[in-house]
Amino acid sequence: MANLNINGRNMSVEAANDTPLLWVIREQLQMTGTKFGCGAGLCGACTVHLNGEAVRSCQTSIADAAGKKITTIEGLSAKGDHPLQKAWIAEQVPQCGYCQSGQIMQAASLLSKNSNPTKEEVVAHMDGNLCRCMTYSRIQKAILRAASEMRTASATGTERRAT
Amino acid sequence: MNEHVKNIIPETTDLSRRSFLVGTAATGLVLGYAAVPGIDQALAAPASFEPSVWYSIAPDGLVTVTCGKADMGQHIASTMAQIVAEELGASWKDMRVQLASNDPKFNDPVLGAQITGGSWSTMMNFDAMSRAGAAGRMALTEAAASAMGVPAGELVVRDSVISHPKSKKSMSFADVVKGGKATKSFTPDELKAIKLKSPDQYTLIGVSVPQLDIPSKTNGTAKYGIDVMLPGMAYGALVTPPVRYGATVKSVDDSAAKKLPGFIKAVTLDDKTGSTTGWVVAVANTYAQAKKAAEALKVSYDGGPNAKVSSESLLAEAKRLQGLDDSGQFFVKDGDPNAAFGSAAKVLEAEYTTSINIHAPMEPMNATAEFKGDILHIYSGNQFATRSGAIAAGAAGIDPKYVVMHQMWLGGGFGRRLDADMMVPAVQAAKAIGKPVKVIYTRENDMTMDYSRPLTYQKVKAGVDADGKLVALSHDVVSAWPTARWGIPDFLSPSVDKKGPLDAFTVNGADFFYTVPNHHVRAIKNEMAHSATPSGQLRSVAPGWTFWAIESAIDEIAHATGKDPAQFRVELLDGKGKNDGGAQRLRNTLLAAMGLAGYGTKKLPKGEGMGVACVSSQERATASWTACVAHVAVASSGEVTVKKLTVATDVGTQVHPDNIRAQVEGAALWGMSLALFEKATLKDGGIEQTNFDSYTPLRMSQMPEVAVNVIANGEKATGVGEPAVTVVAPAIGNAVFNAVGARIRGLPITAEAVKAAMKA
Repeated sequence: MANLNINGRNMSVEAANDTPLLWVIREQLQMTGTKFGCGAGLCGACTVHLNGEAVRSCQTSIADAAGKKITTIEGLSAKGDHPLQKAWIAEQVPQCGYCQSGQIMQAASLLSKNSNPTKEEVVAHMDGNLCRCMTYSRIQKAILRAASEMRTASATGTERRAT
Repeated sequence: MNEHVKNIIPETTDLSRRSFLVGTAATGLVLGYAAVPGIDQALAAPASFEPSVWYSIAPDGLVTVTCGKADMGQHIASTMAQIVAEELGASWKDMRVQLASNDPKFNDPVLGAQITGGSWSTMMNFDAMSRAGAAGRMALTEAAASAMGVPAGELVVRDSVISHPKSKKSMSFADVVKGGKATKSFTPDELKAIKLKSPDQYTLIGVSVPQLDIPSKTNGTAKYGIDVMLPGMAYGALVTPPVRYGATVKSVDDSAAKKLPGFIKAVTLDDKTGSTTGWVVAVANTYAQAKKAAEALKVSYDGGPNAKVSSESLLAEAKRLQGLDDSGQFFVKDGDPNAAFGSAAKVLEAEYTTSINIHAPMEPMNATAEFKGDILHIYSGNQFATRSGAIAAGAAGIDPKYVVMHQMWLGGGFGRRLDADMMVPAVQAAKAIGKPVKVIYTRENDMTMDYSRPLTYQKVKAGVDADGKLVALSHDVVSAWPTARWGIPDFLSPSVDKKGPLDAFTVNGADFFYTVPNHHVRAIKNEMAHSATPSGQLRSVAPGWTFWAIESAIDEIAHATGKDPAQFRVELLDGKGKNDGGAQRLRNTLLAAMGLAGYGTKKLPKGEGMGVACVSSQERATASWTACVAHVAVASSGEVTVKKLTVATDVGTQVHPDNIRAQVEGAALWGMSLALFEKATLKDGGIEQTNFDSYTPLRMSQMPEVAVNVIANGEKATGVGEPAVTVVAPAIGNAVFNAVGARIRGLPITAEAVKAAMKA
């Protein structure tokens, strides 16, 4: 039994403490946007946020996740309209799409700390996320587009506050 | 195949390779209302208009296209909708897609079965979808004409609205469907007679409309096979043997598993379909519990006949078979190369190899099975519903007509999901416990039990005359035969020497468009590989290895005769005889790629080089003309860095330019990944690589600049998912030679091999 805070809601789940968070999210909570890819932290398909940090949910036990703020792709934005999600559509990134929840969550943890990443910083941050369809160039473009839009939105917000 | 797998013969039997008739619509359209269960219901809710099996128009005007092809990221569902919408005159915002069940009415109109592969889908469905769309437009227009009291010929259809410019009257598709008067029906002959739009009339084909599946793939809502949840279902985790194929289970000790929470049962598969050998499924309430139980099971095996086979023994056997005069069957038999070698000024021989390769789509194999009354329901993303349903039936011991395949989005296919091994554990576990069961492979199961791209060995012998002209070429291709494994005669091709059918999907590409008067290609089945490493169709299939050999060999011949390799190819692509048409298109594509890459126009730094290759993948009759210039830098360690891939491809007609670019770029990067980073090995009968730490597809940091250039000259639309895979490895190999003089003949190209060849 563990108490988890997922996407802003407190939930109690019945599972052994060493159960990977991935399977609890997918099966017990039936949020299937987070994907199983390798079970070994090698592909990034299962990426979620723990207190805003990108982690591999296949390598995170529910005991480790208890008491922390867990965010999955379903909770990244209210209406699927996070700047990254919009940029993913604008750049038409996904092919099969299976890795893309993990890619978006991994990218979101970058942009929350660095709103103006260089291409090299994007590559360094994203290199642990495999895409077998090889959509890498579009992923890069979408991240840079989202970063730019976030900066513009934030600048506009500042101006509004100032006036 | 065996007696336990029935009914997998495609309905259309004229499937002889290289002779597809693209452009015959076999779909019978039934125009009019769908069967209305009762008049009360019909009055309560207006029915949808179903102009063909391929789509329906709801009273709210939404058009839902049913896609009979597996969508594994090539956005084929969206593409089918786009083709329908063009002729129907629907607005793109009204289009929706759904995935077809295995009902034969959704069979491919050309192939007569539900199978997705070969980069065939667009070319083989373009005509049928166009005619279905056009028929719907005509039916709606007639109904609208009668409702508006104007002549049908004066109506204009655009963006889901039928308007009469003279009277300024108009009706939306929704209005017409709600009116219930669209009842015109078309016979197959009438369908064939419909005059379709000419390309200059297109308003949607050629436009990069937003792909319909993409939003759901950015917010976690797209449902893949692994996401299926059924009430009361249990989960299965596999225990697979150390030997890829041929092992049997001697005993299963479940005493430790029985002590684990949630454990239900260990099921030893009795697989009469031959899809699996020696597998046990641990079934439990959750997948995490099933996986723990699987780890706790103690299974002992008889390793079977392949327990000592290795990559080395497969290669040795391939060489032995190639050395025999009577091995294999002829795929091409033009002239007499052996006689020509005797009089040639120069004869060259070379051996080319490719390693075992693993599909490893990001979604591991999985299937969910549920018995409901007499019906077996299968939920899985699959590329070959016709055969996979039969395999599921074989595993259940029932007739295939009682199997319903529920198609899901595929988390990558690449040919892996043409196979149906995942159906067997799901079906037998569900049967054993009397509940629905979802079986999920671990990545380790997925890699070690892959229906892999086979290890291949090719020998090329070439004869050049005194003028440096290529006059003779013999080419032996030794491999496992992936398509022969299906046991479907229609997918095999007759050999030209009448020695029985051969698997053309092991030699396609070797029948190239170069003019070589004496040309033999022999397809030789490596039975040892066929048995020990049952192989599958991996993205681009045979051209992925045949062009590695041919395009490397052509380069070697050019260098040996002192000619520029690109110019040498241009001369061979003279368009004479049977090569007329294709050769010229391929030549032009090569020239385009050379121009775009600046081939031969600049002096490159030491250690850098450009290499070219050009291909007619996938098959002679279905080719997309593709060329690549690879620009590489080779370090003194032998390490190869690809700086840029310039790809040009002639696809005839572009339905969706942006999607073509995405597919070609992905395919080119697959080609590079296979050329440099992906290698699997067999030891003691088992695949040694188990996860992404030892089997290492290309990652973002390894990506070069990729310049994709598409030529659309108005010819028929061809496929784009695979051809660019095949052109990259030889282009890189040829670039390495131009950079440092190292000729590499084995894939993948490793730093060690390059360094050794540099010294040699």
